[in-house]
Amino acid sequence: MNGFSSAKTRPRAGRNLMAILVVAAVYAASLAVGRGEDAPPAKASKPAAKKKLTGAELYAINCNRCHPERYATEWNSSQWKSLMLHMRVRANLPAKQAKEIIKYLQEDAGN
Amino acid sequence: MKIRSQICGVLAAGCAVGVVVPQRAAAVISDEQFNQLVNKVDRDDQRIDQLEKTHQQDVQIHVQDQQKIHELEQKLGETHTIATGAAQKAEAASQMQPVASIAAGPSAKHNFMMVGDAEVQFAKPEGQHSGFQLADFAPIFLYRGGDDVLFEAGFDFMLANNAPGSAGYTTTVNLSFATLDYLWNDYVTVVGGNMILPLGTYNERGAGWLNKIPDSPMARGILQGNGVGMQLRGAVPIGDSGQMFTYAVYGVNGPGSTQTNTIALQNTIDLTSGNVSYPNMHANPSGGGRLGWFYAWKPHTDLELGLSGQSGEWDNNGQLLWSAAVLDAALHITPYFEARGEYIHTWQETADLGTAHPRGWWVQAGYKLAGLNLDLPYLSNLELLGRFDTLNDGLGTKTERVTAGFVYYFSNTLLFEGDYEFVHSRGGPAAATPGLLLQLSYGF
Repeated sequence: MNGFSSAKTRPRAGRNLMAILVVAAVYAASLAVGRGEDAPPAKASKPAAKKKLTGAELYAINCNRCHPERYATEWNSSQWKSLMLHMRVRANLPAKQAKEIIKYLQEDAGN
Repeated sequence: MKIRSQICGVLAAGCAVGVVVPQRAAAVISDEQFNQLVNKVDRDDQRIDQLEKTHQQDVQIHVQDQQKIHELEQKLGETHTIATGAAQKAEAASQMQPVASIAAGPSAKHNFMMVGDAEVQFAKPEGQHSGFQLADFAPIFLYRGGDDVLFEAGFDFMLANNAPGSAGYTTTVNLSFATLDYLWNDYVTVVGGNMILPLGTYNERGAGWLNKIPDSPMARGILQGNGVGMQLRGAVPIGDSGQMFTYAVYGVNGPGSTQTNTIALQNTIDLTSGNVSYPNMHANPSGGGRLGWFYAWKPHTDLELGLSGQSGEWDNNGQLLWSAAVLDAALHITPYFEARGEYIHTWQETADLGTAHPRGWWVQAGYKLAGLNLDLPYLSNLELLGRFDTLNDGLGTKTERVTAGFVYYFSNTLLFEGDYEFVHSRGGPAAATPGLLLQLSYGF
């Protein structure tokens, strides 16, 4: 992938940066937790355990785990069906959830 | 005379009274009764006016009804004409030879499409020249046959700049994976072909534009990335909350080697199961699998844990095992914070050195500045990243790397990534090189 081959070592700089990164990660997590209640509600934020989740909610839950969410208009209905097959296999999505998500996406799919 | 004059006087008086006294006084009607009569006459006049208005409205409605009836009669006539024409055409058509018609049915069951990603990378390793290291085009072809069958194949066309001091560049074309997927039922999917192995989650979910940091954790290099075989996988939802268990179990041509068993470094093993320099000369395939648990509190706030492993013979004689175990975790808190990582441990039996334990782990966290609501559009498109990864080769060399980076989101699929890597090693040459990496990535 790249031509990196040398073995330059910078123990102090690396460890100091690591410590900074750990602190930054903890701080970022606390920011995220703090903002969780103040942040504008996601398109599909509903209590998760109290009712059956909609396709929009399941889309927000599952798809953003690995990649930025895609717009429904990016593909047509048939293409979304192929993509959902691909993602159902690759991401191990339950069948019922995959069906709800595809229904949601096909509602606004492109032509 | 007197009588006559009296009579005349009475008559004159009578006339006078008749002139002076009003006529009504002559009738026996009181003022109150007279006023009542006047009021009654007024009310009757008002009623008559209302009746006249109502009548006029009725007349208008009647006229409108007549017009509608007339229009309906005209339409009826037109319909009759059309029906007559259609009957004539149908009769004429029935006398013609039948021809094939284009029926408007349901949409096609088969579909072919292409997705994938493309990257261009710039690097400045410490102590070396800078340059554009590589350009990569990685299409994934999807062919869907109906509702339950999918064939997918991922290629990797890469132009890599050769190492400093070397001439030119090298272009490679690899088949990253090619599988036939069959959705057997809601809980079991059968996968066969050249598979990306579910050892951890990094490989399966790690396309170039998804990694966020351009290069992979070092410890991923001690795992077999893909292999030819068969796999069963699926998910079992728990309730309707989004919680689920996932599983994958597979048999695959494991790592192999043509080397004698007296040399046993991971570098002598073909962990890609595709390098012709190290064909699979072992006696039997390997077996492996992954179990995962996913829980979502709400969209964008979830936790996933997984445990995976693989074991099989790697030597020519089929006597030495190569095994691996991976513990993976991923955490999201709101759309803005993400942390994930893996612990990887492998066991490599050797004929001369006993069992070696190449191992390592990595953890990566990112925070999207959009969560700060800074009202600064360019800054809000940034995600800050940090990663720590380590690798112990099992033979005395340990390498640690700290990476600080960022992702700038031009859009949801066009990303500019940059990071600087600090490397520290003990006991031997480091497994990575410090320096600057920049990458433009596009997912399509």
